[in-house]
Amino acid sequence: MKKLSARIAGIAIAFALPLSLVAPASAAPAAVTLTVWTYGNVIEPQAIIDYKKLHPEITIQLKKSGLDAHHQSLITSFLANKTPDIAAVEVSYSGYFRSYPQYFTDLRKAPYNSASIENNYLDWRWAQGVGYEGTVFGLPTDVGGMQVAYRPALFKAHGLPTSRDAVAKLWPTWSAFIATGQKYQKNLSKAEKDSCSKKKVCYGFIDNAGTIYNAVLNQGTKKYYENDNTKDGKLVYESNPQVKTAFQTTATALGAGIGTNINSFTNDWNVGMNKGIFATILAPAWMMDYIKQQAPKTKGKWDIADLPGGGGNLGGSQLTIPKSAVHKKEAWDFMSWYLSPAEQLKIFKKYGLFPSTSVLYDNPALKNFKDPFFNNAPVGQIYGSSVKTLKPIYEGKKQRAIDNIIGQALSRVGLKKQNAASAWTQALNEIKNAVGPSK
Amino acid sequence: MSNTASKSLSPWRASDPRKAKKPKQKASDGAVVNSLNGGWGYLFTAPFVVMFLIFGLAPVIYSVYIAFFSWDPLDFTHTYIGIDNFVRVIQDEQFWLAVRNTFSIWALSTFPQMVMAIALANVLRNPMLKFKTFWRTMLLVPNITSVLAVAIVFGQLFSRDFGLVNLAREYLGMSNHINFVSETVPGHIAIATMITWRWLGYNALIFLAAMLAVPNELYEAASIDGASGWRQFRYVTLPGIRNTITFVLVVGTIGGLQVFAEPLTLAGGESGGDSRQFSTLTLFLFEQAHMGNWGYAATIGIMITFIVLIISGINFVFTRRLGSGENVQ
Repeated sequence: MKKLSARIAGIAIAFALPLSLVAPASAAPAAVTLTVWTYGNVIEPQAIIDYKKLHPEITIQLKKSGLDAHHQSLITSFLANKTPDIAAVEVSYSGYFRSYPQYFTDLRKAPYNSASIENNYLDWRWAQGVGYEGTVFGLPTDVGGMQVAYRPALFKAHGLPTSRDAVAKLWPTWSAFIATGQKYQKNLSKAEKDSCSKKKVCYGFIDNAGTIYNAVLNQGTKKYYENDNTKDGKLVYESNPQVKTAFQTTATALGAGIGTNINSFTNDWNVGMNKGIFATILAPAWMMDYIKQQAPKTKGKWDIADLPGGGGNLGGSQLTIPKSAVHKKEAWDFMSWYLSPAEQLKIFKKYGLFPSTSVLYDNPALKNFKDPFFNNAPVGQIYGSSVKTLKPIYEGKKQRAIDNIIGQALSRVGLKKQNAASAWTQALNEIKNAVGPSK
Repeated sequence: MSNTASKSLSPWRASDPRKAKKPKQKASDGAVVNSLNGGWGYLFTAPFVVMFLIFGLAPVIYSVYIAFFSWDPLDFTHTYIGIDNFVRVIQDEQFWLAVRNTFSIWALSTFPQMVMAIALANVLRNPMLKFKTFWRTMLLVPNITSVLAVAIVFGQLFSRDFGLVNLAREYLGMSNHINFVSETVPGHIAIATMITWRWLGYNALIFLAAMLAVPNELYEAASIDGASGWRQFRYVTLPGIRNTITFVLVVGTIGGLQVFAEPLTLAGGESGGDSRQFSTLTLFLFEQAHMGNWGYAATIGIMITFIVLIISGINFVFTRRLGSGENVQ
């Protein structure tokens, strides 16, 4: 045993010695391969090409999975102590991971010193990467924001104004939004009405009124949890009036029948987007790119107006460095470069991901950015004003499970399987069984 | 199934008595057998046994262990809670709903599929059929297609507003659109269709193999007796493949209890639709594991094992009764 360890030590020294002798002498740093695990388009391909030009010695190895699969394999990698150098964490999962900051590198410490760049970012987006005990475990990538994408021609055909200012004035509040929707429904053509009453395709003001729930909920100051500086957090889903308000508003909208009940990201949704089955979508900034790809022929037929109630968000991720990452310093260098204001601006212009760096919001390059696909709407300014008004909200440990349960309840209301009151009661019961009682 | 298992294991069982009783008979053969029964035998079986121990048995033991804990994967310490998880699962309405969903989908996918597979095999058995190899190969194509790809394509076929199924119904004069994603029975039928499409050809081939093993003399005798095509099928073919039917049923049941990708994709989420109408047992297990309840998920896994055991037991009795009856093989 002794001999063996001595031999290993000998080999280690034999390898280390020449390295330590050579390292200071050579100018080129050693080649490093950074492993990066993400999902979707968190890291855009252009950035990898650009970074290679800046740092030829760094090779970025990107592994993309589906949203759920990605986070599950991340959990497994934590347990196996074999993690990537950089891992993306989506906001629906960040509530879970902020209960376990021990698995991440604390970015407050040297050499990262996250405090020095914190002011570049939106405060509430930054907070989504902070553990329950204060550890900064991730840097915010883009921000979703949320506005209303609408089709002026359909608005005109159904008796509504078309200019984005006039449209925004239609709905300062959510109840005004619902009333506008009802007006739209009233003005449906006979053919459109018949189609629905014959149980075929239903035409509607909004794709799915169920999407209102998240928009309303995010306009508050808390969701299902309060941070009490414990790992599990304090459950407040029943005592927080905002949850009930969001549920009720959505149930009212569903009851008013202003939506088509088509779920987002389904085949029907993509077709409906092309055919003008619905006139509005509650759209985060990243969804603009999706609309462009799925419905390229609708170019110029869309516009963007302000969301009722002021400000909204959907989605967004943090980039993190897991504790057992091998190349932490290099990981940080890449991450802080990719998420710097200058780089986020580039990505926004090319891919439409809206920057989370609030210092950019008054920058003319962003403010004056217009999108011809959306009728030359000043999307930079519109989304900037949307995300600025939001306040930090604590994303709790099992938020995703609670979101799912309420989403199901609202689906049942929308499909008239259940009335709002009993759907709410059932949802509360299911949440209680799944995550515990509210305090 | 039990037959094949005992056959493949027979060298192990037979080794000792043979060695002890007739050591010198058939010296040349015996040498090989003896040397295989020594260290070499273990070596040759080692790849399977080692893999099984690591990837089969160890996870099973681990699952049983964590079923007695409140086990969040990332926690450093886990709380021992005794049989609480088991009490919870018995009382969990969502679990029993998953059981009902699983069996409903299983029944809808298994029985029509068996009938179709046998019918299809009977067509392929026909000696007059042209391009036999081509047809037989085509049958396996659905089976080698990725489950997820199948599920995505079928998800589009069954979508409410612009899915092909609803458009076809409209063309046939049924104007109302069925919402497969939210209605329970149509949804189960949609899922069963995916499963049937995938496994029909595979099972048809198994039935075909069994049918080809039925001696031709029986058919000749039957036609001399004046039996028509249907009567030949009813009284010669069907009894001849009875054991195979049982086999397909057993394998189909075990597969049916593990239905996962199809309901997941059609529901578009782990909780299986707005009323949990597509939440199958494995999907429920998956959902709980995803919520960080590994202990509870392991308990559900154990419950699935018990359900499989019970059904296998029923099946064992059923098969024995069949075997003790008239023997047409």
